[in-house]
Amino acid sequence: MIYEEPVLKPGGDRNLLVYLGDEMSFDLNFLVHTYAARIREAGVPGLVELIPELASLLVSYDPDRISYADLGRELKTIRAGIGALEGLELPSRLFNVPVLYFDPWTEACVDDYRATIKDKEPDPDFLVRINGLDDRRHLIRVHSGTEYWVAALGFWPGLGSLMPLDPRCRLTAPKYNPPRTWTPKGTVGMGGSVTCIYPDRTPGGYQIFGISPMPIWDPAQRLEAFRDSLALFRPGDRVRFVPVDREEHDAVAAKVEEGTYLHPEVGYQTFSIDAYRGWLAGLDPARRF
Amino acid sequence: MIEVIAPGLETSVQDLPGRVGYWEQGFPPSGPMDRWSFRLANVLVGNAPEAAALECQFLGPTLRFDAPARVAVTGADMRPTLDGAQVPLWTTIAVSAGQVLALGPALTGARGYLAVSGGIDVPVVLGSRSTFHMAGVGGMEGHAIKAGQRLPLGPASDGPVAGTSVAPAARPAFPTDGRWTIEVVPGPDDDWIDEAGQARFLSSDWKVTAKANRTGFRLSGPEWSFAPRATQKPPENGDDPSNIIDHGYPFGAVNLAGATPIILVNDGPSAGGFINPYTVITAAFWKLGQSRPNEIYRFHAVTVEGAQALRRAQDALASAASLVPPG
Repeated sequence: MIYEEPVLKPGGDRNLLVYLGDEMSFDLNFLVHTYAARIREAGVPGLVELIPELASLLVSYDPDRISYADLGRELKTIRAGIGALEGLELPSRLFNVPVLYFDPWTEACVDDYRATIKDKEPDPDFLVRINGLDDRRHLIRVHSGTEYWVAALGFWPGLGSLMPLDPRCRLTAPKYNPPRTWTPKGTVGMGGSVTCIYPDRTPGGYQIFGISPMPIWDPAQRLEAFRDSLALFRPGDRVRFVPVDREEHDAVAAKVEEGTYLHPEVGYQTFSIDAYRGWLAGLDPARRF
Repeated sequence: MIEVIAPGLETSVQDLPGRVGYWEQGFPPSGPMDRWSFRLANVLVGNAPEAAALECQFLGPTLRFDAPARVAVTGADMRPTLDGAQVPLWTTIAVSAGQVLALGPALTGARGYLAVSGGIDVPVVLGSRSTFHMAGVGGMEGHAIKAGQRLPLGPASDGPVAGTSVAPAARPAFPTDGRWTIEVVPGPDDDWIDEAGQARFLSSDWKVTAKANRTGFRLSGPEWSFAPRATQKPPENGDDPSNIIDHGYPFGAVNLAGATPIILVNDGPSAGGFINPYTVITAAFWKLGQSRPNEIYRFHAVTVEGAQALRRAQDALASAASLVPPG
């Protein structure tokens, strides 16, 4: 549910958590990002950082400039000023992310896990089976058949939680147990109903089935897309996965290597919740790609 | 410049308040774990308390200075020597060009702090010189210092004369029995734990395991028990009682992932899908930084306002007002 009133809880002496609900839904996440934008606009004194997440915000503050009680009052007032979601819009860039599905690197990673940690069904076949898909090609059609909403960033620099905007493309997957000790950089994976791209070689727990040669974070800021930020995505951006073959994958990787790659980005759109809801109402949920 | 002859176990450049402002993109604040000792090391050499200095974990480095400088070593007792002769902790030391400062293994505590007049002048990355070595950001080329590297120094300002020391009452006191009292504020997710579980958390011994580093401190201790909301929740929260819809992790969160708690510290993750029933307060962080595997924590609950007052009092102690002139 989405709470009528936000639930505020302390996180030590300089952070607080604001829970806006306890469900994983687009509406609730859209509310979180609208709320984050309003908090920033309000210029609350002593506010240091905001981490908008799927259903909540972490707010860090300077206790020498504002008390916990005063900050709580400000945050409740701002939440009360939002009202209904109707009519709300957020700026939203669209990124086209090239993906080589069922690539040799993630296959080798899964093989390594099966050989050294725990045997399991290969991730793509597992996803096909538990989601009732016809075959691996069907998995590609469904996974790449929707835009994804960047619902949150976190856990690792640049790592985004991506929610499918077309409900017909929602897939589910349990996480690895125990987790993997390594995952190739650029791997595309799923856990719960969230998709992610691994920004770097890191441990991980999502089922993995593709790789993107397009960097989504760059601590050296070599590529143009990282001039202003080390991480590519911002919450409220959208992502579309574009299936590519090995030749195209390698061509992109070569451009990234020489530092000339231009990220395919559409930067002139806003996301209207009314337009989205209208589009959803016209969908036939029984039909899938 | 300072030449690194031996790097120590994991010696990194840190500053205060660390990398603030990029948490939303997933960058942790980093910075020194024991900010009390860190600030005092800086003021002993005439730096701002927040200036970039070295954090030395368990085994300190050996460094050659190619110009005169003031240095100070605080925190864990790593028995510093200058050209082989022992020099005191918590004291301003004058180093001449060519001299070698060597730190050994920590005899008490876990992290020593080494400040040099002028501060360590590595490039500022995202507003901070702090090292986040897991992602290769900040510090000396993104990582702990290495043998053969040359650490750049900033311009030194006037500072305390050699022999200036920190008043003993203003230094953090390390326990001699390996038992620490760690102050926490209940929340954000204390209401996911039942009353018995909350009482058990605050009345039990928690042992620091070997999995304790700048990302997190894994503890071993009794089982947890949960309030109904941990088991009766919408399915998207996850299967385990400790699962919750991904949310932000406050600095110092006592993060319950399955059965064992991990205190998330300076280089920890910004968000994830486990509950945080308690949060260690800023003023208690130095104790995490100075504790060693197999030592014991007892947790003591304080209010938000109480925690803020403790931090103010600690910062006041960790300042130039606590310096005592030589003699």
